[in-house]
Amino acid sequence: MKKIRIHEEYCIGCHLCEITCVVKHSPSGKIIKTFREEKENRPLPRVRVEEEGYVSFALQCRHCDDAPCVENCLTGAMYRDEKTGMVLCDEDRCMGCWMCVMSCPFGVAERSKDRTRVGSKCDGCVGKGEVPPCVENCPNEALTYE
Amino acid sequence: MNELHAPYLIIGFSVAGRWGARAIRENDPGTPIVAVSDERGWYSRPLITYVLGGKSRGVDHTGLLFDATSLAVLEGERVERLDTINRVAFLRSGKRIFFEKALLAPGGVPIVPPLEGITERGVFTFTGKGDLEKMRQFLEEVHPKRVLILGGGFIGLKTCEAFMHRGFEVTVVELSSRLLPLMLDEDGSRYLEKALVQAGVKVVLGETVVAFEGSGQKLTQALLRGGKHLPVDCAVVAVGVRPNVEWLQDSGIEIRKGIVVDEFQETSKKGIFAAGDVAETRNFLTGERNVVAIWPEAVRQGKVAGANMAGTRISYPGSLPLNVLDLGGVALVSAGLVNPPQGGGFEVLVRKEKDEYMKVVLENECIVGIIMLGRIEKSGIYIRLLRERIPVTGFKERLLDPKFGLVNLPREFRKSWVEGVGVEV
Ligand SMILES: Cc1cc2nc3c(=O)[nH]c(=O)nc-3n(C[C@H](O)[C@H](O)[C@H](O)COP(=O)(O)OP(=O)(O)OC[C@H]3O[C@@H](n4cnc5c(N)ncnc54)[C@H](O)[C@@H]3O)c2cc1C
Repeated sequence: MKKIRIHEEYCIGCHLCEITCVVKHSPSGKIIKTFREEKENRPLPRVRVEEEGYVSFALQCRHCDDAPCVENCLTGAMYRDEKTGMVLCDEDRCMGCWMCVMSCPFGVAERSKDRTRVGSKCDGCVGKGEVPPCVENCPNEALTYE
Repeated sequence: MNELHAPYLIIGFSVAGRWGARAIRENDPGTPIVAVSDERGWYSRPLITYVLGGKSRGVDHTGLLFDATSLAVLEGERVERLDTINRVAFLRSGKRIFFEKALLAPGGVPIVPPLEGITERGVFTFTGKGDLEKMRQFLEEVHPKRVLILGGGFIGLKTCEAFMHRGFEVTVVELSSRLLPLMLDEDGSRYLEKALVQAGVKVVLGETVVAFEGSGQKLTQALLRGGKHLPVDCAVVAVGVRPNVEWLQDSGIEIRKGIVVDEFQETSKKGIFAAGDVAETRNFLTGERNVVAIWPEAVRQGKVAGANMAGTRISYPGSLPLNVLDLGGVALVSAGLVNPPQGGGFEVLVRKEKDEYMKVVLENECIVGIIMLGRIEKSGIYIRLLRERIPVTGFKERLLDPKFGLVNLPREFRKSWVEGVGVEV
């Protein structure tokens, strides 16, 4: 299975991955509309840039082998996709027990803005192109897909 | 057919039983498994409060489904007795199952205190989907308005949240001087209490119910120990669960607080394992033996039991009490030792804000406990630091920072944490 790899030595902290991610998952899919008009229902980024001093890197779901978010999910919303091997979330099944938030060893599962379901689960942009858009739009190859 | 042969027998087929079956399958693909469950279908026990509250449509769990060719599930069947010498399970239906190895995963049963009027119509325990059905029917027929929850632990408060969400008048009666006494500390309990009171819940602390009174057909009031009467139409008794072990009394299996197991989840009888809410295990932090009746531990114990049953030696690192709740709009996480004993050499870091509370308990520079209330994001990182006993020297002063993340860990930890899962940071 191909995965998004993170290279902190190349990250310039520009947050373009976050912007791209929000746009890709927004109702319109268009950057200006997303940020000007869709303030209410604009999704959270599913990749986050962590920064401290001169160090920065983009972090998203690592699709763990023994994923604790899947094991501890009270509904079965969090599951491993047999075809791609990715950990995905069926948001219709999620009812906000926050087990994944507590269980994620990378701290990347966050509550959605309206606090009704998990809102930051990377879906690998399944069906949104060969290479995930956050990787494609990274100007310095701080995210790669291999 | 009244006699069955089971190389692997699983008794109770819920969280621990299913993870056990899965681990057996992974380590021994071919050998048949027989599972016995006295409930029907696979559902998530915690979901009953979400269904009651209208947040979830049903109780079914959509994960952990099994390929029926490798597994026979006897549903609606109850094991009444276990003969550990001849290795036979006797079912209520008269069936007998001769087994080689067994996993006992029968969970817990609600504690029902011997209170006067406990059998009154309108008094419930609330731990299974049968209870949910009864409650729904009662709500439809009787249209109660005032609900009393006896017990301010996590099951009681989750049930409280459900009733609150649907607009009932709810009173929580808790014997301790504060809510969630095991999961929170004094300050945390006060934050939660404030939020619940603001959301309209009546909280009565340091009190308990001594009798439920009714007209024979209908609950009308509860008598508190202090002598006060509370008018109520419906009551949920949530004073705890205990291991479901009555049926094992003459099995010869060692039982103390629960079924005693070693680090392989094996009981005192060789080849017979136990996992989940029924098992007494060693606490990861303190070494004390206890029953830690939570979902994540049922998973981990089930996995360890299953692997060992199938001949792969792996051991359980010990149980870690942890939970996450969302009550009255306040989310909170609690893990490990949150009320360290005085003078035990613990260091406590605290951050208090209007709607946020955070506490980190350290021992020898390692996290041993955490409370996060109001903001729970990234709690998983702290819990991982705790589980892996990683010293926080060098980034201790960043622990309470709302922006704390992987980036604050020393580079070598970042690297080793994420290696093998595709991160190179
Ligand atoms: C209302 C509620 C909310 C909860 N919320 C949370 C939460 O938010 N977070 C959390 O971590 N945990 C929560 N829990 C606890 C969690 O549900 C349990 O820890 C978990 O279900 C334990 O799994 P288990 O497999 O050990 O037992 P159980 O899920 O209890 O399953 C045991 C099964 O065995 C069957 N059985 C018992 N005896 C026999 C027999 N003799 N023969 C055949 N079958 C038998 C039972 O009918 C049952 O189906 C909650 C529990 C309740 C009741």
